[in-house]
Amino acid sequence: MIKVKDLAFSYTPKPFIENVTFEVNNGEIFGFLGPSGAGKSTLQKILTGVLRHYTGSVSVNGVNVKSANAAFYEMIGVDFEYPSLYEKLSGNENLIYFASLYKNHRDIDALIKSVGLQFDANKRVYEYSKGMKSRLNFIKALLHNPEILFLDEPTNGLDPSNALMMKDIIRLEKSKGKTIILTTHNMQDATELCDRVAFIVDGKIRTIGTPRNLIMSRGAAQITYSYIDESLEKFASVSIDSTAIDPSLLAAISCNKLSSIHSSEPSLNDIFIEITGRSLQ
Amino acid sequence: MKAILTSFRMLLKQLSKDGMLIVLMFVPILAGFFFRFGIPYLEGIITQAMAQTSVLSDYYLLFDLFLATITPYMFCFAVTMTMLDEYDKHIIGHLTITPLTKNGYIISRLGISTIISFLVSLLVVTFFSLTEWTLGKLICVCFLTSVLCIGVAMFIFTKSRNKVEGIAVAKLSGIVMLGLIVPFFLSGNVQFLFGLFPTFWIARLTIETDILSYVMVITVSVAWIMGVKIGFDRKMAQ
Repeated sequence: MIKVKDLAFSYTPKPFIENVTFEVNNGEIFGFLGPSGAGKSTLQKILTGVLRHYTGSVSVNGVNVKSANAAFYEMIGVDFEYPSLYEKLSGNENLIYFASLYKNHRDIDALIKSVGLQFDANKRVYEYSKGMKSRLNFIKALLHNPEILFLDEPTNGLDPSNALMMKDIIRLEKSKGKTIILTTHNMQDATELCDRVAFIVDGKIRTIGTPRNLIMSRGAAQITYSYIDESLEKFASVSIDSTAIDPSLLAAISCNKLSSIHSSEPSLNDIFIEITGRSLQ
Repeated sequence: MKAILTSFRMLLKQLSKDGMLIVLMFVPILAGFFFRFGIPYLEGIITQAMAQTSVLSDYYLLFDLFLATITPYMFCFAVTMTMLDEYDKHIIGHLTITPLTKNGYIISRLGISTIISFLVSLLVVTFFSLTEWTLGKLICVCFLTSVLCIGVAMFIFTKSRNKVEGIAVAKLSGIVMLGLIVPFFLSGNVQFLFGLFPTFWIARLTIETDILSYVMVITVSVAWIMGVKIGFDRKMAQ
Protein backbone atom coordinates (compact mmCIF):
# COMPACT_ATOMS: atom_id res chain seq x y z
CA MET A 1 0.00 0.00 0.00
CA ILE A 2 2.73 2.47 1.04
CA LYS A 3 6.36 1.97 0.02
CA VAL A 4 9.14 4.31 1.06
CA LYS A 5 12.74 3.66 0.08
CA ASP A 6 15.89 5.64 0.89
CA LEU A 7 13.89 8.79 1.56
CA ALA A 8 15.83 11.95 2.37
CA PHE A 9 14.51 15.47 2.81
CA SER A 10 15.44 18.70 4.52
CA TYR A 11 14.03 22.21 4.73
CA THR A 12 17.57 23.56 5.04
CA PRO A 13 21.02 22.53 3.78
CA LYS A 14 21.44 20.60 7.03
CA PRO A 15 20.25 16.98 6.59
CA PHE A 16 16.99 16.21 8.37
CA ILE A 17 15.09 13.15 7.19
CA GLU A 18 17.64 10.56 6.07
CA ASN A 19 17.68 6.94 4.87
CA VAL A 20 14.04 6.33 5.71
CA THR A 21 12.78 3.01 4.37
CA PHE A 22 9.57 1.24 5.35
CA GLU A 23 6.43 -0.35 3.99
CA VAL A 24 2.86 -0.20 5.25
CA ASN A 25 0.52 -3.05 4.40
CA ASN A 26 -3.06 -2.81 3.23
CA GLY A 27 -5.52 -2.54 6.12
CA GLU A 28 -2.83 -1.82 8.70
CA ILE A 29 -2.67 0.91 11.34
CA PHE A 30 0.91 2.11 11.23
CA GLY A 31 2.12 4.59 13.82
CA PHE A 32 4.88 7.15 13.63
CA LEU A 33 6.00 7.64 17.19
CA GLY A 34 8.42 10.34 18.20
CA PRO A 35 8.92 13.53 20.17
CA SER A 36 8.05 16.98 18.80
CA GLY A 37 10.33 18.01 15.95
CA ALA A 38 11.35 14.43 15.17
CA GLY A 39 10.07 14.64 11.59
CA LYS A 40 6.72 12.86 11.94
CA SER A 41 4.62 15.63 10.43
CA THR A 42 7.23 16.24 7.72
CA LEU A 43 7.07 12.57 6.80
CA GLN A 44 3.29 12.83 6.65
CA LYS A 45 3.57 15.87 4.38
CA ILE A 46 5.84 13.89 2.06
CA LEU A 47 3.47 10.91 2.01
CA THR A 48 0.54 13.19 1.17
CA GLY A 49 2.38 14.95 -1.65
CA VAL A 50 2.64 18.33 0.07
CA LEU A 51 6.46 18.27 0.08
CA ARG A 52 7.88 16.98 -3.18
CA HIS A 53 11.53 18.06 -3.13
CA TYR A 54 12.81 14.84 -1.62
CA THR A 55 15.15 12.12 -2.83
CA GLY A 56 14.39 8.42 -2.78
CA SER A 57 11.11 6.83 -3.76
CA VAL A 58 7.70 7.18 -2.13
CA SER A 59 4.61 5.48 -3.49
CA VAL A 60 1.15 5.38 -1.98
CA ASN A 61 -1.24 2.80 -3.42
CA GLY A 62 1.04 2.52 -6.44
CA VAL A 63 1.14 6.28 -7.08
CA ASN A 64 4.43 8.14 -6.97
CA VAL A 65 3.50 10.99 -4.62
CA LYS A 66 5.62 13.45 -6.61
CA SER A 67 2.92 13.21 -9.26
CA ALA A 68 0.01 13.29 -6.82
CA ASN A 69 -3.08 14.71 -8.56
CA ALA A 70 -6.79 15.11 -7.93
CA ALA A 71 -7.38 11.34 -8.32
CA PHE A 72 -4.71 10.67 -5.68
CA TYR A 73 -6.41 13.05 -3.27
CA GLU A 74 -9.74 11.29 -3.80
CA MET A 75 -8.25 8.19 -2.15
CA ILE A 76 -6.55 9.75 0.88
CA GLY A 77 -8.00 11.58 3.85
CA VAL A 78 -5.84 13.75 6.09
CA ASP A 79 -6.50 15.02 9.58
CA PHE A 80 -3.79 17.55 10.38
CA GLU A 81 -2.82 18.31 13.94
CA TYR A 82 -4.35 21.78 13.78
CA PRO A 83 -8.01 22.26 12.78
CA SER A 84 -8.40 23.73 9.31
CA LEU A 85 -11.91 25.15 9.33
CA TYR A 86 -13.74 28.28 8.22
CA GLU A 87 -14.58 29.83 11.57
CA LYS A 88 -17.31 32.13 10.22
CA LEU A 89 -19.21 29.12 8.85
CA SER A 90 -21.09 26.52 10.86
CA GLY A 91 -19.72 23.02 11.35
CA ASN A 92 -22.30 21.71 8.91
CA GLU A 93 -21.45 24.34 6.27
CA ASN A 94 -17.78 23.49 6.59
CA LEU A 95 -18.43 19.81 5.96
CA ILE A 96 -20.78 20.53 3.05
CA TYR A 97 -18.10 22.71 1.46
CA PHE A 98 -15.22 20.28 1.89
CA ALA A 99 -17.42 17.36 0.79
CA SER A 100 -18.30 19.23 -2.40
CA LEU A 101 -14.64 19.14 -3.46
CA TYR A 102 -14.87 15.35 -3.87
CA LYS A 103 -16.71 13.21 -6.40
CA ASN A 104 -18.62 11.32 -3.71
CA HIS A 105 -19.08 11.77 0.00
CA ARG A 106 -20.61 10.09 3.01
CA ASP A 107 -23.78 11.06 4.83
CA ILE A 108 -22.71 14.27 6.60
CA ASP A 109 -25.38 14.08 9.31
CA ALA A 110 -24.30 10.55 10.26
CA LEU A 111 -20.67 11.64 10.50
CA ILE A 112 -21.59 14.62 12.68
CA LYS A 113 -23.61 12.34 14.92
CA SER A 114 -20.74 9.84 15.17
CA VAL A 115 -18.64 12.42 17.03
CA GLY A 116 -21.50 13.81 19.09
CA LEU A 117 -21.78 17.18 17.36
CA GLN A 118 -25.37 16.80 16.13
CA PHE A 119 -26.67 19.53 18.46
CA ASP A 120 -23.87 21.95 17.55
CA ALA A 121 -23.73 21.38 13.80
CA ASN A 122 -25.36 24.72 13.01
CA LYS A 123 -23.19 26.75 15.37
CA ARG A 124 -20.43 28.80 13.86
CA VAL A 125 -17.06 27.15 14.31
CA TYR A 126 -15.61 30.08 16.27
CA GLU A 127 -18.11 29.19 19.01
CA TYR A 128 -16.70 25.64 19.21
CA SER A 129 -14.35 24.48 21.96
CA LYS A 130 -10.93 23.11 21.04
CA GLY A 131 -12.18 19.54 21.41
CA MET A 132 -15.23 20.18 19.21
CA LYS A 133 -13.00 21.64 16.49
CA SER A 134 -10.75 18.58 16.71
CA ARG A 135 -13.71 16.26 16.31
CA LEU A 136 -15.10 18.24 13.37
CA ASN A 137 -11.67 18.31 11.75
CA PHE A 138 -11.38 14.55 12.22
CA ILE A 139 -14.62 13.71 10.42
CA LYS A 140 -13.61 16.15 7.66
CA ALA A 141 -10.89 13.62 6.81
CA LEU A 142 -13.50 10.84 6.56
CA LEU A 143 -15.98 12.75 4.40
CA HIS A 144 -15.12 11.09 1.08
CA ASN A 145 -14.63 7.60 2.51
CA PRO A 146 -10.90 7.48 1.66
CA GLU A 147 -8.93 4.26 1.32
CA ILE A 148 -5.98 5.65 3.26
CA LEU A 149 -6.18 7.87 6.32
CA PHE A 150 -3.39 10.06 7.63
CA LEU A 151 -4.14 11.12 11.18
CA ASP A 152 -1.85 13.56 12.97
CA GLU A 153 -2.37 13.55 16.75
CA PRO A 154 -6.11 12.77 16.41
CA THR A 155 -6.76 12.64 20.16
CA ASN A 156 -4.69 15.69 21.04
CA GLY A 157 -6.62 18.07 23.31
CA LEU A 158 -9.58 15.73 23.76
CA ASP A 159 -11.04 14.66 27.09
CA PRO A 160 -10.83 10.89 27.82
CA SER A 161 -14.39 10.10 26.71
CA ASN A 162 -14.03 11.93 23.41
CA ALA A 163 -10.56 10.42 22.88
CA LEU A 164 -12.14 7.00 23.37
CA MET A 165 -14.86 7.89 20.88
CA MET A 166 -12.24 8.87 18.29
CA LYS A 167 -10.26 5.68 18.88
CA ASP A 168 -13.41 3.62 18.38
CA ILE A 169 -14.00 5.38 15.06
CA ILE A 170 -10.40 4.69 14.02
CA ARG A 171 -10.87 0.99 14.85
CA LEU A 172 -14.14 1.01 12.89
CA GLU A 173 -12.37 2.46 9.85
CA LYS A 174 -9.69 -0.22 10.15
CA SER A 175 -12.37 -2.90 10.29
CA LYS A 176 -13.60 -1.60 6.93
CA GLY A 177 -10.17 -2.34 5.47
CA LYS A 178 -8.76 1.18 5.56
CA THR A 179 -5.02 1.71 5.84
CA ILE A 180 -4.27 4.23 8.56
CA ILE A 181 -1.10 6.20 9.24
CA LEU A 182 -1.19 7.52 12.78
CA THR A 183 1.27 10.21 13.77
CA THR A 184 1.50 10.71 17.50
CA HIS A 185 3.66 11.23 20.53
CA ASN A 186 0.98 9.58 22.68
CA MET A 187 2.35 6.11 23.41
CA GLN A 188 -0.95 4.98 24.91
CA ASP A 189 -2.78 5.68 21.65
CA ALA A 190 -0.04 3.96 19.68
CA THR A 191 -0.10 0.87 21.91
CA GLU A 192 -3.89 0.61 21.75
CA LEU A 193 -4.38 1.31 18.06
CA CYS A 194 -1.32 0.44 16.01
CA ASP A 195 -0.50 -2.86 14.39
CA ARG A 196 3.07 -1.62 13.96
CA VAL A 197 4.93 1.47 15.01
CA ALA A 198 8.07 3.23 13.82
CA PHE A 199 10.17 5.15 16.33
CA ILE A 200 11.39 8.40 14.77
CA VAL A 201 14.02 10.65 16.27
CA ASP A 202 15.89 13.46 14.51
CA GLY A 203 14.46 12.48 11.14
CA LYS A 204 15.59 8.86 11.31
CA ILE A 205 13.63 5.68 11.95
CA ARG A 206 15.31 3.88 14.84
CA THR A 207 13.15 0.77 14.83
CA ILE A 208 9.91 -0.69 13.48
CA GLY A 209 7.80 -3.38 15.08
CA THR A 210 4.52 -4.32 16.66
CA PRO A 211 3.95 -2.62 20.03
CA ARG A 212 3.76 -6.02 21.73
CA ASN A 213 6.98 -7.34 20.22
CA LEU A 214 8.80 -4.13 21.06
CA ILE A 215 7.59 -4.29 24.64
CA MET A 216 8.45 -7.97 24.93
CA SER A 217 11.87 -7.41 23.42
CA ARG A 218 12.87 -5.69 26.64
CA GLY A 219 12.44 -8.93 28.52
CA ALA A 220 9.68 -10.73 30.36
CA ALA A 221 7.24 -8.86 32.53
CA GLN A 222 7.68 -9.03 36.28
CA ILE A 223 5.15 -10.27 38.82
CA THR A 224 5.20 -8.55 42.18
CA TYR A 225 3.32 -10.23 44.98
CA SER A 226 2.87 -10.08 48.73
CA TYR A 227 1.99 -12.89 51.12
CA ILE A 228 1.45 -13.42 54.85
CA ASP A 229 4.24 -15.26 56.63
CA GLU A 230 4.15 -15.62 60.45
CA SER A 231 1.64 -12.74 60.68
CA LEU A 232 3.95 -10.45 58.65
CA GLU A 233 3.28 -9.24 55.11
CA LYS A 234 6.24 -9.99 52.89
CA PHE A 235 6.89 -8.77 49.35
CA ALA A 236 8.64 -10.52 46.47
CA SER A 237 8.87 -10.35 42.70
CA VAL A 238 9.59 -12.87 40.01
CA SER A 239 9.94 -12.89 36.26
CA ILE A 240 6.71 -14.05 34.61
CA ASP A 241 8.51 -16.94 32.92
CA SER A 242 9.79 -18.24 36.30
CA THR A 243 6.57 -18.36 38.31
CA ALA A 244 6.47 -22.18 38.29
CA ILE A 245 9.86 -22.42 39.99
CA ASP A 246 9.48 -19.65 42.56
CA PRO A 247 9.13 -21.47 45.93
CA SER A 248 7.73 -18.47 47.85
CA LEU A 249 5.03 -17.86 45.28
CA LEU A 250 4.13 -21.57 45.06
CA ALA A 251 3.98 -21.86 48.83
CA ALA A 252 1.88 -18.72 49.19
CA ILE A 253 -0.59 -20.01 46.59
CA SER A 254 -0.76 -23.55 48.02
CA CYS A 255 -1.32 -22.25 51.57
CA ASN A 256 -3.72 -19.55 50.41
CA LYS A 257 -1.48 -16.86 51.93
CA LEU A 258 -1.25 -14.60 48.89
CA SER A 259 -2.45 -11.08 49.81
CA SER A 260 -1.77 -9.28 46.52
CA ILE A 261 -0.34 -9.93 43.05
CA HIS A 262 0.45 -7.51 40.21
CA SER A 263 2.12 -7.81 36.85
CA SER A 264 4.25 -4.97 35.57
CA GLU A 265 5.11 -4.70 31.89
CA PRO A 266 7.35 -2.05 30.36
CA SER A 267 5.40 0.56 28.39
CA LEU A 268 6.11 1.61 24.82
CA ASN A 269 7.46 4.82 26.29
CA ASP A 270 10.04 2.82 28.28
CA ILE A 271 11.07 1.01 25.11
CA PHE A 272 11.27 4.27 23.21
CA ILE A 273 13.56 5.80 25.82
CA GLU A 274 15.70 2.67 25.87
CA ILE A 275 16.11 2.57 22.10
CA THR A 276 16.37 6.27 21.30
CA GLY A 277 17.61 7.77 24.54
CA ARG A 278 14.81 10.33 24.26
CA SER A 279 11.43 10.76 25.92
CA LEU A 280 8.21 10.78 23.92
CA GLN A 281 6.38 13.38 25.99
CA MET B 1 -12.94 22.10 -12.72
CA LYS B 2 -15.86 21.47 -10.36
CA ALA B 3 -13.54 21.75 -7.35
CA ILE B 4 -12.03 25.01 -8.68
CA LEU B 5 -15.46 26.59 -9.16
CA THR B 6 -16.57 25.36 -5.73
CA SER B 7 -13.45 26.89 -4.22
CA PHE B 8 -14.08 30.15 -6.08
CA ARG B 9 -17.63 30.28 -4.73
CA MET B 10 -16.15 29.91 -1.24
CA LEU B 11 -13.88 32.88 -2.00
CA LEU B 12 -16.96 34.96 -2.88
CA LYS B 13 -18.67 33.77 0.29
CA GLN B 14 -15.65 34.77 2.35
CA LEU B 15 -15.51 38.19 0.69
CA SER B 16 -19.22 38.72 1.28
CA LYS B 17 -18.72 38.18 5.01
CA ASP B 18 -16.08 40.91 5.30
CA GLY B 19 -17.42 44.46 5.15
CA MET B 20 -14.01 46.03 4.51
CA LEU B 21 -13.34 43.80 1.53
CA ILE B 22 -16.79 44.47 0.05
CA VAL B 23 -16.08 48.20 0.16
CA LEU B 24 -12.70 47.61 -1.49
CA MET B 25 -14.36 45.97 -4.47
CA PHE B 26 -16.27 49.20 -5.12
CA VAL B 27 -13.23 51.48 -4.81
CA PRO B 28 -12.43 51.34 -8.57
CA ILE B 29 -15.98 52.46 -9.40
CA LEU B 30 -15.88 55.25 -6.81
CA ALA B 31 -12.46 56.28 -8.10
CA GLY B 32 -13.83 56.12 -11.64
CA PHE B 33 -16.65 58.52 -10.79
CA PHE B 34 -14.19 60.89 -9.11
CA PHE B 35 -11.70 60.79 -11.97
CA ARG B 36 -14.33 61.11 -14.69
CA PHE B 37 -16.37 63.91 -13.15
CA GLY B 38 -14.30 65.32 -10.28
CA ILE B 39 -10.99 65.85 -12.10
CA PRO B 40 -12.42 67.87 -15.06
CA TYR B 41 -14.40 69.92 -12.55
CA LEU B 42 -11.22 70.60 -10.55
CA GLU B 43 -9.39 71.36 -13.77
CA GLY B 44 -11.94 74.08 -14.50
CA ILE B 45 -11.46 75.64 -11.08
CA ILE B 46 -7.66 75.42 -11.14
CA THR B 47 -7.18 76.75 -14.66
CA GLN B 48 -9.49 79.64 -13.86
CA ALA B 49 -7.68 80.40 -10.60
CA MET B 50 -4.23 80.13 -12.20
CA ALA B 51 -5.20 81.74 -15.47
CA GLN B 52 -3.81 78.75 -17.39
CA THR B 53 -5.29 76.88 -20.33
CA SER B 54 -4.45 73.47 -18.86
CA VAL B 55 -3.03 72.07 -15.65
CA LEU B 56 -4.47 68.63 -14.89
CA SER B 57 -5.59 67.81 -18.42
CA ASP B 58 -1.95 67.20 -19.41
CA TYR B 59 -2.06 64.25 -17.05
CA TYR B 60 -5.46 62.80 -17.92
CA LEU B 61 -3.73 59.73 -19.36
CA LEU B 62 -1.99 59.25 -16.03
CA PHE B 63 -5.34 59.30 -14.25
CA ASP B 64 -6.62 56.71 -16.70
CA LEU B 65 -3.58 54.53 -16.01
CA PHE B 66 -4.21 54.78 -12.29
CA LEU B 67 -7.76 53.67 -12.94
CA ALA B 68 -6.56 50.69 -15.00
CA THR B 69 -4.14 49.70 -12.23
CA ILE B 70 -6.27 50.35 -9.18
CA THR B 71 -8.99 47.91 -10.30
CA PRO B 72 -6.87 44.72 -10.34
CA TYR B 73 -4.89 46.06 -7.39
CA MET B 74 -8.00 46.27 -5.20
CA PHE B 75 -9.19 42.86 -6.39
CA CYS B 76 -5.82 41.28 -5.67
CA PHE B 77 -5.70 42.96 -2.26
CA ALA B 78 -9.13 41.59 -1.29
CA VAL B 79 -8.23 38.09 -2.52
CA THR B 80 -4.87 38.17 -0.75
CA MET B 81 -6.53 39.11 2.55
CA THR B 82 -8.82 36.10 2.16
CA MET B 83 -5.84 33.87 1.35
CA LEU B 84 -3.96 35.11 4.41
CA ASP B 85 -7.00 34.36 6.55
CA GLU B 86 -7.15 30.85 5.08
CA TYR B 87 -3.41 30.43 5.65
CA ASP B 88 -3.72 31.60 9.25
CA LYS B 89 -6.49 29.02 9.85
CA HIS B 90 -4.41 26.21 8.20
CA ILE B 91 -7.10 25.89 5.52
CA ILE B 92 -4.75 26.24 2.54
CA GLY B 93 -2.70 23.30 3.76
CA HIS B 94 -5.83 21.18 3.83
CA LEU B 95 -7.24 22.36 0.49
CA THR B 96 -4.00 21.46 -1.30
CA ILE B 97 -4.43 17.80 -0.29
CA THR B 98 -7.99 17.61 -1.63
CA PRO B 99 -8.91 17.09 -5.30
CA LEU B 100 -8.70 20.89 -5.59
CA THR B 101 -4.87 20.53 -5.38
CA LYS B 102 -2.43 23.40 -4.93
CA ASN B 103 -2.68 24.54 -8.54
CA GLY B 104 -6.47 24.43 -8.39
CA TYR B 105 -6.42 26.55 -5.27
CA ILE B 106 -4.15 29.13 -6.90
CA ILE B 107 -6.37 29.22 -10.00
CA SER B 108 -9.51 29.61 -7.86
CA ARG B 109 -7.98 32.48 -5.92
CA LEU B 110 -5.59 34.32 -8.24
CA GLY B 111 -6.47 32.97 -11.70
CA ILE B 112 -10.22 33.55 -11.81
CA SER B 113 -9.90 36.80 -9.85
CA THR B 114 -7.39 38.08 -12.38
CA ILE B 115 -9.72 37.30 -15.27
CA ILE B 116 -12.58 39.08 -13.50
CA SER B 117 -10.43 42.05 -12.54
CA PHE B 118 -9.26 42.28 -16.17
CA LEU B 119 -12.86 42.41 -17.38
CA VAL B 120 -13.84 44.93 -14.69
CA SER B 121 -10.79 47.03 -15.63
CA LEU B 122 -11.96 47.07 -19.24
CA LEU B 123 -15.38 48.32 -18.16
CA VAL B 124 -14.09 50.85 -15.64
CA VAL B 125 -11.61 52.40 -18.07
CA THR B 126 -14.18 52.35 -20.89
CA PHE B 127 -16.79 54.16 -18.80
CA PHE B 128 -14.61 56.51 -16.79
CA SER B 129 -11.51 57.29 -18.87
CA LEU B 130 -10.62 60.91 -19.48
CA THR B 131 -8.75 60.22 -22.73
CA GLU B 132 -9.49 58.28 -25.91
CA TRP B 133 -8.40 54.64 -25.81
CA THR B 134 -8.20 52.32 -28.77
CA LEU B 135 -9.55 48.83 -28.13
CA GLY B 136 -6.08 47.34 -28.62
CA LYS B 137 -4.45 49.69 -26.12
CA LEU B 138 -7.29 49.17 -23.65
CA ILE B 139 -7.00 45.36 -23.75
CA CYS B 140 -3.20 45.46 -23.66
CA VAL B 141 -2.95 47.79 -20.64
CA CYS B 142 -5.72 46.08 -18.65
CA PHE B 143 -4.15 42.70 -19.34
CA LEU B 144 -0.71 43.89 -18.22
CA THR B 145 -1.95 45.56 -15.03
CA SER B 146 -3.93 42.42 -14.17
CA VAL B 147 -0.87 40.21 -14.65
CA LEU B 148 1.20 42.63 -12.60
CA CYS B 149 -1.29 42.36 -9.76
CA ILE B 150 -0.85 38.57 -9.65
CA GLY B 151 2.76 39.30 -8.72
CA VAL B 152 1.67 41.90 -6.17
CA ALA B 153 -0.80 39.43 -4.61
CA MET B 154 1.89 36.74 -4.41
CA PHE B 155 4.28 39.25 -2.85
CA ILE B 156 1.81 40.35 -0.17
CA PHE B 157 0.89 36.74 0.61
CA THR B 158 4.52 35.62 0.82
CA LYS B 159 5.73 38.47 3.00
CA SER B 160 2.84 38.49 5.50
CA ARG B 161 1.98 36.08 8.26
CA ASN B 162 -1.58 37.31 8.78
CA LYS B 163 -4.12 39.89 7.63
CA VAL B 164 -2.72 42.67 9.82
CA GLU B 165 0.74 42.24 8.35
CA GLY B 166 -0.89 41.85 4.94
CA ILE B 167 -2.44 45.31 5.16
CA ALA B 168 0.97 46.81 6.02
CA VAL B 169 2.75 44.95 3.20
CA ALA B 170 -0.02 45.91 0.77
CA LYS B 171 0.58 49.59 1.59
CA LEU B 172 4.26 49.04 0.90
CA SER B 173 3.51 47.26 -2.36
CA GLY B 174 1.59 50.36 -3.47
CA ILE B 175 5.01 51.75 -4.34
CA VAL B 176 4.77 49.68 -7.51
CA MET B 177 2.41 52.36 -8.86
CA LEU B 178 5.22 54.88 -8.66
CA GLY B 179 6.40 53.66 -12.05
CA LEU B 180 3.26 55.05 -13.68
CA ILE B 181 4.21 58.61 -12.78
CA VAL B 182 7.83 58.57 -13.95
CA PRO B 183 7.43 58.89 -17.75
CA PHE B 184 5.10 61.85 -17.21
CA PHE B 185 7.54 63.82 -15.06
CA LEU B 186 11.05 62.63 -15.92
CA SER B 187 12.64 62.85 -19.32
CA GLY B 188 15.94 61.55 -20.60
CA ASN B 189 17.76 58.42 -19.52
CA VAL B 190 17.30 59.06 -15.82
CA GLN B 191 13.74 57.75 -16.08
CA PHE B 192 15.10 54.27 -16.86
CA LEU B 193 16.28 54.03 -13.26
CA PHE B 194 12.66 53.09 -12.64
CA GLY B 195 12.80 50.32 -15.23
CA LEU B 196 12.44 47.66 -12.55
CA PHE B 197 8.85 48.80 -12.03
CA PRO B 198 6.59 47.07 -14.55
CA THR B 199 4.25 50.06 -14.27
CA PHE B 200 6.99 52.30 -15.69
CA TRP B 201 6.93 50.29 -18.93
CA ILE B 202 3.13 50.20 -18.95
CA ALA B 203 3.07 54.00 -18.78
CA ARG B 204 5.73 54.30 -21.52
CA LEU B 205 3.75 51.85 -23.63
CA THR B 206 0.67 54.06 -23.52
CA ILE B 207 2.68 57.18 -24.30
CA GLU B 208 4.93 55.90 -27.08
CA THR B 209 3.56 52.45 -28.08
CA ASP B 210 7.00 50.99 -28.82
CA ILE B 211 7.87 47.32 -28.96
CA LEU B 212 10.68 47.75 -26.40
CA SER B 213 8.21 48.84 -23.72
CA TYR B 214 5.98 45.89 -24.52
CA VAL B 215 8.84 43.39 -24.28
CA MET B 216 10.17 45.04 -21.13
CA VAL B 217 6.84 45.07 -19.29
CA ILE B 218 6.40 41.36 -19.96
CA THR B 219 10.01 40.61 -18.99
CA VAL B 220 9.96 42.66 -15.79
CA SER B 221 6.53 41.34 -14.71
CA VAL B 222 7.56 37.71 -15.28
CA ALA B 223 10.84 38.36 -13.42
CA TRP B 224 8.88 39.79 -10.47
CA ILE B 225 6.50 36.83 -10.41
CA MET B 226 9.32 34.28 -10.69
CA GLY B 227 11.23 36.09 -7.95
CA VAL B 228 8.28 35.90 -5.59
CA LYS B 229 7.26 32.39 -6.66
CA ILE B 230 9.97 30.57 -4.66
CA GLY B 231 8.83 32.08 -1.36
CA PHE B 232 5.19 31.70 -2.40
CA ASP B 233 5.59 27.97 -3.09
CA ARG B 234 7.44 27.48 0.19
CA LYS B 235 4.67 29.20 2.10
CA MET B 236 1.98 27.16 0.34
CA ALA B 237 3.70 23.95 1.52
CA GLN B 238 3.78 25.02 5.17
